[in-house]
Amino acid sequence: MCVGLSAKVVSVKDDTAVIDAGGAQREISAGILDELEPGDYVMVHAGVAIAKISASDEEEADDIMGELL
Amino acid sequence: MNEAMKKARDIITGYSGRPVRIMEVCGTHTHEIFRLGIRKLVPENVEIISGPGCPVCVTAVGFIDEACWLALEKDCVICTFGDLIKVPGTKLSLAGARAMGAAIKPVYSPLDAVEIAGQTPDRQVVFLAVGFETTTPSACLAVKKARELGLENFSVLTANKTMPNAYKALVGSADAFIYPGHVNAITGNAVCRQLCEEQGVSGVVAGFTASELLTALATAIRLLEKGEPFFRNCYPRVVKDEGNPGAIKLMNEVMEPCDSEWRGLGLIPMSGMKLREEFAPYDARLKFSMPKIEGKPNPACRCGEVLQGKCRPSDCKVFGKVCTPLHPVGACMVSDEGACSAYYQYAGLV
Ligand code: SF4
Repeated sequence: MCVGLSAKVVSVKDDTAVIDAGGAQREISAGILDELEPGDYVMVHAGVAIAKISASDEEEADDIMGELL
Repeated sequence: MNEAMKKARDIITGYSGRPVRIMEVCGTHTHEIFRLGIRKLVPENVEIISGPGCPVCVTAVGFIDEACWLALEKDCVICTFGDLIKVPGTKLSLAGARAMGAAIKPVYSPLDAVEIAGQTPDRQVVFLAVGFETTTPSACLAVKKARELGLENFSVLTANKTMPNAYKALVGSADAFIYPGHVNAITGNAVCRQLCEEQGVSGVVAGFTASELLTALATAIRLLEKGEPFFRNCYPRVVKDEGNPGAIKLMNEVMEPCDSEWRGLGLIPMSGMKLREEFAPYDARLKFSMPKIEGKPNPACRCGEVLQGKCRPSDCKVFGKVCTPLHPVGACMVSDEGACSAYYQYAGLV
């Protein structure tokens, strides 16, 4: 139940967004994220977008490992 | 493999310091660390232990009994995350109740349960609200939605839990925590930072992909080598320091803290969430005047010790024999995110 789904926002209307996760589209709640726009990537849990995703995991790993001495 | 991953792997495999214990708090981390074969990478002096971060596993036996009571005595339609259906209660699981004619519906989101209530106005629909800060906002949205729609046949049975007091209860059980990324995505990092600064508790926030888990583990191991307490956010692409203010506001609007019973860990003060008085009409316990129901866990099950990293699933006498994913004795064997289930599925990788 806790597995998050990362997905791309296709459209937003009021507090509802349509997301695309690997080709499958689904309506989710965008009620707890401000300023969601089509093209944003989000983390989805139990039908609700809980956070925006700001980079790829590879970019993130490069940054963190680059700083680690 | 790129440079960053090579470096992470070298740090992990090359660790030669004192023996250390690293606890992955989150059940999804337990599962992914097994599945990706990361346990095979760590040297003997690094022990990876599983914590209590699977909401299904820490759901008290009495909660399942309460849900069965609503289903069988009050004829409610029970909507639940699918993982809860096989969790044993004192006498029955929800699957058992279903075999006796109860209406048990698995849903992906609490909002789906509201929809079901809208479609079946002649039935009382109850959503089983389990989960940590990650899933609690969705239950709060569902309650608000039901109120907005004027639905009088929707309520929730709450067992929502919050991590901060559980972290405090676990202090001392590991040298470093791998904090659950998606909990911190909601709560932010203040509690973990404070634990580090005030109590010397070390930890890293981790994501869920192979590179995120390797990065977080390598960071923890390198910083453990240095010997100073540390906190690092290794999942900044999703976890912001302030968390998700909209979600926090919503949770505080709909729910308030309460004491909560954790399977295996007992009652942890102020580690749960219940509906505020304003939302009392959506509280299934009040709505159906539920009597006090106390569950009795199976005495053979050592989930409590497993969830605190005090024993491994394979130390439990019934593991893999009487207790299997098809016939679970304890909650840790039910959910994919449970430590016993992960050990069972990936036994060859231990
Ligand atoms: S193997 Fe089964 S009975 Fe033993 S601790 Fe795990 S869930 Fe409980």
